[in-house]
Amino acid sequence: MTVKAKKRNPLQPPDRTYLALGLEGSANKLGAGIIQHAQDGSTSVLSNIRHTYITPPGEGFQPRDTALHHRQWAMTVIQEAVEKSGVSMRDLDCICYTKGPGMGAPLQSVALVARTLSLLYDKPLVGVNHCVGHIEMGRQITGAQNPVVLYVSGGNTQVIAYSRQCYRIFGETLDIAVGNCLDRFARVINLSNDPSPGYNIEQEAKKGKRLVPLPYATKGMDVSLSGILTSIEAYTQDKRFRPHGAPEGDPEDIITPQDLCFSLQETVFSMLVEITERAMAHIGSKEVLCVGGVGCNERLQEMMGIMAAERGGRVFATDERFCIDNGIMIAQAGLLAHRMGHETPLQDSTCTQRFRTDEVHVAWRA
Amino acid sequence: MSSTIALIESAQPISQGAEAKVYKAYLHNGGTPVLVKHRFRKQYRHPTLDATLTKSRVAGEARALLKCLRAGVNVPGVRMVDSAEGVLCIEWIDGQSVRKLLPGGEEEEELDDATDLTGESSQNAAVSSLRGYDVDELMSLIGREIGKMHQADIVHGDLTTSNMMLHSSSQGQRPRLVLIDFGLSYYSTLVEDKAVDLYVLERAFSSTHPDSEPLFASVLKAYEAQMGKEWSAIGKRLDEGAPSFRCNLKSS
Ligand SMILES: Nc1ncnc2c1ncn2[C@@H]1O[C@H](COP(=O)(O)OP(=O)(O)O)[C@@H](O)[C@H]1O
Ligand SMILES: [Mg+2]
Repeated sequence: MTVKAKKRNPLQPPDRTYLALGLEGSANKLGAGIIQHAQDGSTSVLSNIRHTYITPPGEGFQPRDTALHHRQWAMTVIQEAVEKSGVSMRDLDCICYTKGPGMGAPLQSVALVARTLSLLYDKPLVGVNHCVGHIEMGRQITGAQNPVVLYVSGGNTQVIAYSRQCYRIFGETLDIAVGNCLDRFARVINLSNDPSPGYNIEQEAKKGKRLVPLPYATKGMDVSLSGILTSIEAYTQDKRFRPHGAPEGDPEDIITPQDLCFSLQETVFSMLVEITERAMAHIGSKEVLCVGGVGCNERLQEMMGIMAAERGGRVFATDERFCIDNGIMIAQAGLLAHRMGHETPLQDSTCTQRFRTDEVHVAWRA
Repeated sequence: MSSTIALIESAQPISQGAEAKVYKAYLHNGGTPVLVKHRFRKQYRHPTLDATLTKSRVAGEARALLKCLRAGVNVPGVRMVDSAEGVLCIEWIDGQSVRKLLPGGEEEEELDDATDLTGESSQNAAVSSLRGYDVDELMSLIGREIGKMHQADIVHGDLTTSNMMLHSSSQGQRPRLVLIDFGLSYYSTLVEDKAVDLYVLERAFSSTHPDSEPLFASVLKAYEAQMGKEWSAIGKRLDEGAPSFRCNLKSS
């Protein structure tokens, strides 16, 4: 028999106050935030500012234009974050930026800002994995100790659990991300991108009634979503489809955009809850944490909550301030790494479009 | 009350996984026992979607078992299917899970994907005799059954040592190795899918049983012999390693 020793937390309690600036720009959100780890062990969000690049209905965001947006807004957003925090750039311990994954040009433009600030104020840089940022911020805000994490955003769909200083990926999408699937359908039915296509799908879905059949594709702990997108798009060409909804009291056999939003959410979210439950059963965990932009969808949180309750556990989620991409989560994950002695030398302060969650050495956890 | 529901109510709970509750029951008084697998209603899911899924999964699991049976793979026989109620009854296999027969399998039970509801204390971990088999022979049996299954183009989807049982048999007969739990199985002719099946098993071995490399090597050797010329493509895929396989931290 092996006797399990209680693992010691490798992260020492702070011997003083630590401060970090976090910069995020891996997709169409530009964020800057300042986090504080105080000597009494508490963590405070001193500021968390975001500016989103919003494209007209029917249009996605292109890397080049998004990078331009980030360059144009960088000074304003960072300045506001510093002013709001009440600390000065000189007080910072480090400058954290998103190393990846994400879109190349927007990542580069924010990394350039981070490097400039690092040289200007003589502060060390810390390159951060975007996904780990989401996880660490979610854990911090909700207090979830060792949850199974469902990370769902425009670019990522993963079921993750912590094991031996690694965020292991138990399941993921085999093709497109769930946020991408929702966003692309929102464009097909011309929903606004303001504040986000996914938010508007959620509002429309509340008015939907009819569940249309869609392919349901889970494979073990993985999901496939591209077939669903093709099918739901095909319904907009169906004879029964009415782009402007049903006239009052119409008895006809019709399908509305609201019905399609409803069906898309019900089907896709069921798949996500199912693979999350499988991971929870596999590792024997009762907690689940939803992070990433799609994680603030209330229907997804509700379904996850029912599943978790049936297993005698609970769901943890955050609101749009922390779920949607932001600077503070980069500051949080970066400062944890920095307190473990990690920094990114200037010559290594590159970006990478592909950067898997399980490549990060999670030195700060036992 | 349907007779299927009555059957479940008379049954003895065995375990609960993510998707189904498992019971031991009797279809006829004084008959042989069966294993009842009940895919219960998922409250989070839209009722229509839930009903469709449950039905197709019960039917799918039964179909995979029947296909294996026809191909001569050792799997439990199908005794009763009620897909509308989400119930599948299969032959009860009297024996031990391979996990418990191998070193390490008794520990870290909290990592098992099912909660043990029987409360029976499991047998001593140090089963040295393995019911008359040496470990190498047991590994060969495993490799051969997986090979037969893959030759029938069934991919198991959840190959672990918990999902294999050594059937204790009557005096004089050799025990059989039986593959169970086809809940995640599917039909595929693809080399990639079969290679992933083996990779999943390798991961299960290394995370559950210490010093499992020689064990898994014996499994592969027997698998290779069973697969014949189908092996080379799968072996090649395994050697290529794992760009699409996950986590580069080993044996976590
Ligand atoms: N045919 C069978 N005969 C006897 N016991 C079985 C049989 N099938 C499964 N079991 C036992 O029930 C447990 C759970 O069944 P399984 O089919 O693996 O479902 P799950 O999806 O919950 O893992 C197994 O680990 C095994 O111990
Ligand atoms: Mg099983």
